[in-house]
Amino acid sequence: MKKALVLFIMFVFASAAYADKPKFLEHRYEYKLEDVLKADKYEKKDRYWEAYIAGKLVGYIFLSKDWTAQHVGYSGKHMETLVGFDTKGAITGVKIVFHAEPIVLIGLKQDNYDNFIKQYIGKSVLQGMSVGNEIKMDAITGATVTAVVQNAIIAEGAKKVAASAGLIKYAAQQSHKISQKFEPLSWKELMDTGAMKNILITKEDVGQQGGKDPYIDLSFGLATPPAIGKNALGERTYAQLLQSLKEGDSAVFIFSNGPGSFKGSGFARGGVFERFHVEQDDRTYVFTDKDYIMFTELAANGAPTIKEGGIFIIRAKDFDQSKPFKLKLIISYRIGVDSKFKAAASDYKLPDKFMEQ
Amino acid sequence: MSLDRRKFLKYMGVAGAAAGASMLVSEGVKTKGKAAIGPTTAEAQTEAKEHRYEVKPGELDAYYGFWSGGHSGEVRIIGVPSMREIKRIPVFNIDVGTGYGVTNETKALLKGRFCGDTHHVHGSYNNGVYDGKYLFVNDKLNNRVARIRTDYMETDKIVDVPNIQGMHGLFTQRYPKTEWLVCNGEFQVPVPNTNPNQSPADYNGVHTIIDAEKMEIVCQILMDENMDLAATDYKGRYSMTTSYNPEKGVTVSEMLAFDEDFMLVFHWDRIRSALKDGKYKMVNGVKMLDGRAGKSDLTLRIPVPKNPHGINVSPDGKYAVCSGKVAPTCSVVEIDKIEDAFNGKIKPKECIVAQPFIGLGPLHTTYDGRGNAITSVFIDSTNVKWNIQKAIDNEKNPEEKKKNTHIVDVLDVTYQVGHIMATMAETKEADGQWLVSLNKFSKDRFLNVGPLKNECEQLVDITGDKLKLVHDSAAYIEPHDCIMVRRDIIEKHVKDRYNMFDNPLAVTKAGVERKGNKVTVKLTANAPVFGLSEVHLKKGEEVTVIVTNHDEISDLDHGFALSAYNINFVVAPFQTKSVTFTADKPGVYWAYCTNFCHALHLEMRMRFIIA
Repeated sequence: MKKALVLFIMFVFASAAYADKPKFLEHRYEYKLEDVLKADKYEKKDRYWEAYIAGKLVGYIFLSKDWTAQHVGYSGKHMETLVGFDTKGAITGVKIVFHAEPIVLIGLKQDNYDNFIKQYIGKSVLQGMSVGNEIKMDAITGATVTAVVQNAIIAEGAKKVAASAGLIKYAAQQSHKISQKFEPLSWKELMDTGAMKNILITKEDVGQQGGKDPYIDLSFGLATPPAIGKNALGERTYAQLLQSLKEGDSAVFIFSNGPGSFKGSGFARGGVFERFHVEQDDRTYVFTDKDYIMFTELAANGAPTIKEGGIFIIRAKDFDQSKPFKLKLIISYRIGVDSKFKAAASDYKLPDKFMEQ
Repeated sequence: MSLDRRKFLKYMGVAGAAAGASMLVSEGVKTKGKAAIGPTTAEAQTEAKEHRYEVKPGELDAYYGFWSGGHSGEVRIIGVPSMREIKRIPVFNIDVGTGYGVTNETKALLKGRFCGDTHHVHGSYNNGVYDGKYLFVNDKLNNRVARIRTDYMETDKIVDVPNIQGMHGLFTQRYPKTEWLVCNGEFQVPVPNTNPNQSPADYNGVHTIIDAEKMEIVCQILMDENMDLAATDYKGRYSMTTSYNPEKGVTVSEMLAFDEDFMLVFHWDRIRSALKDGKYKMVNGVKMLDGRAGKSDLTLRIPVPKNPHGINVSPDGKYAVCSGKVAPTCSVVEIDKIEDAFNGKIKPKECIVAQPFIGLGPLHTTYDGRGNAITSVFIDSTNVKWNIQKAIDNEKNPEEKKKNTHIVDVLDVTYQVGHIMATMAETKEADGQWLVSLNKFSKDRFLNVGPLKNECEQLVDITGDKLKLVHDSAAYIEPHDCIMVRRDIIEKHVKDRYNMFDNPLAVTKAGVERKGNKVTVKLTANAPVFGLSEVHLKKGEEVTVIVTNHDEISDLDHGFALSAYNINFVVAPFQTKSVTFTADKPGVYWAYCTNFCHALHLEMRMRFIIA
């Protein structure tokens, strides 16, 4: 046992321990731009390439580390990926240039990883690509952290490049300041404001007996506005949250009932919560255990008991709390002994009441 | 679910017929749900009572759990199913509470080495079931084996094992009774270890056989392979181990080079003959046989996929299961085929009767005694229950094999399980009551106690088809493995007081004896007084204090602590302990009782007056 554990610890610190040695725990591959999009001319732009055939623009190519280096996998390292897509936004090729994911050493084969990556070809950058929906996890069940982070790397990078190239335009929206006003609200009053959104996955949805009974009955909301956070979480937990926020940070809180878990277990070892993330425009926010405060009960008068809860801090200045965002869930479950995945999502818009107008 | 009920019963029936008297299966009718209290009997209960894990005040646990303590160096006794830690038995460590490693008696056991890494605790056997007499545990760090006598629940012998490093795996002979036990060297080293410049290609692993009663080394077997976990069969024929580094690699990548490594088998009759015929050479005072490929017929190499880990024998004695670790499978070896392979009638590989898919990172396998195996799976972080016969049948039926119909249930555990063990599972009386999943990670399961977190041991009810998680308990550094033994097997051996004359130093009359510079202070301890109220010493004298607890009342222990002299130990009823020190600090020093004994416990003290 001890040895297996030591191996895993070594993976995490692979770069330090193996700095001067053959990079056994890391995998780096040669690449050419044509590996992901064939063309006769490539023109370097700011952080991406334009591809031309006979003088006609046919698509775009980028290296993920130029766009989404903040997304790191189980190994603590970014999986560098070369991605090409055509002028309609359809992915033409994806190639892993570097990764250090340990699961590919123990358990999974490199082929499994390659098969996972192949699925992206033909998928639409513009419509977005989610694990569990457009992208299936079947090839790499067991490597959910790797899969979810890899998806964030490809999908977010492609969206950002597409936006830079003018393929995607986001509606300009007015940004608002968050109101610092506090008024005590009961649970019901808080619910009535629309400050929390719900995602329900029933037992039926995950192939279990029990029909419409919840498998996961999950709610979430922005935690930072005092009229929400302080009421829902209580004064002490809210104060704890404020203390851990740095300038520009925001936070969501998520809680659930039912036998399923939104936290899963990947975070316990890899540090990454692989079952949910937040998306706003072309940006994806994946959470790690460094952005996480556990809470086990809601404070507001009349609030239900909960099975699990967490506050997740969005450590990025580009997240705008006053603008709409999405919470996406990818819940893994079993039918018999087979792993399956169920995806669900909910839009969120902070009610005007909690913003300064 | 993969098995329909009819098929399931069929396999239950097969298992039941094969597995002996204490089965909870009769006539193919599944029964379950024995109460937690009291040992299992052969009576069939037709319907489930709730399988109770709560042990209420005044009730007793049904099982003695013996846990290794990892690099704490100790062994722990956990009551199962309550999972209450009842006792810590210091083995390779210093325990300043009991004075283990402080007293002369225990210093003689430790010989100055008080760091240890206990991995595997196993009991002494009689005919495939624990006889309740001894426990044995290995020290991976300093390459020692210790014996614990269960009557006093204390370490009584420690034997050093030369010529090896990384002592991993330990198992006791199961049949006809424990005369031998075996342990392995996981790290290959030069043998003898005298040439630091020796090429790793010339390093060796060594399998060691120890006489359990004498605690002396019978012989060692020189190998090229390293050896990891260990097991013995139920007919007294073989010891078996896994080997993940036949490559003789010294880096991770080198150790992972081969796609196939080995399960190794050691043929005991042939070893006995080789010893009789003098086919050994002496290395560091130990008879060393040569088990290397092509050098003798003592060993068999069964190829199994890349870097296997655990090896566990099914309670019916039929199969040894090697858990794949790097491979997502387990290899099921039919033990009765091994003799033919030794005799060259079949190829070693033909001993493997199934290689079922289990999950990512299978490490160890345990058994419910009803034909099912339960394997710990590290990367997936699960316990996987699978039917052995079904896995064997599916080997001839690729469609079924592909559908993984051997798998009965999968339980997520939190998180990263290492060892796994079911009650009585390493005996032919495996009773399928409880399973403990010894998980390495515990984040978010307990109060956050800082970056160094406890481990998480999860208790699982295995009486039904499904594995049912019932309880989390925290464990500090760092249990590896455990066994859970029915209460009736152990408790009849356990004593309430020592035999006073086990220790020839036992004090019957308090007093002081002088021989030159050496002073012996003999003390009786009777609540609430020591036998002397003061002792006069000269600075520089070498003083030996011997304390015998004369209180006959069971549970009445005394401590002896000498202020400013860094001495403390506990003496249980009729026990004797001694300690030797130099009286180098003149002045008045109070000795006092540290272990609460009496209403006047605080008054139980005496002066050492050093001039």
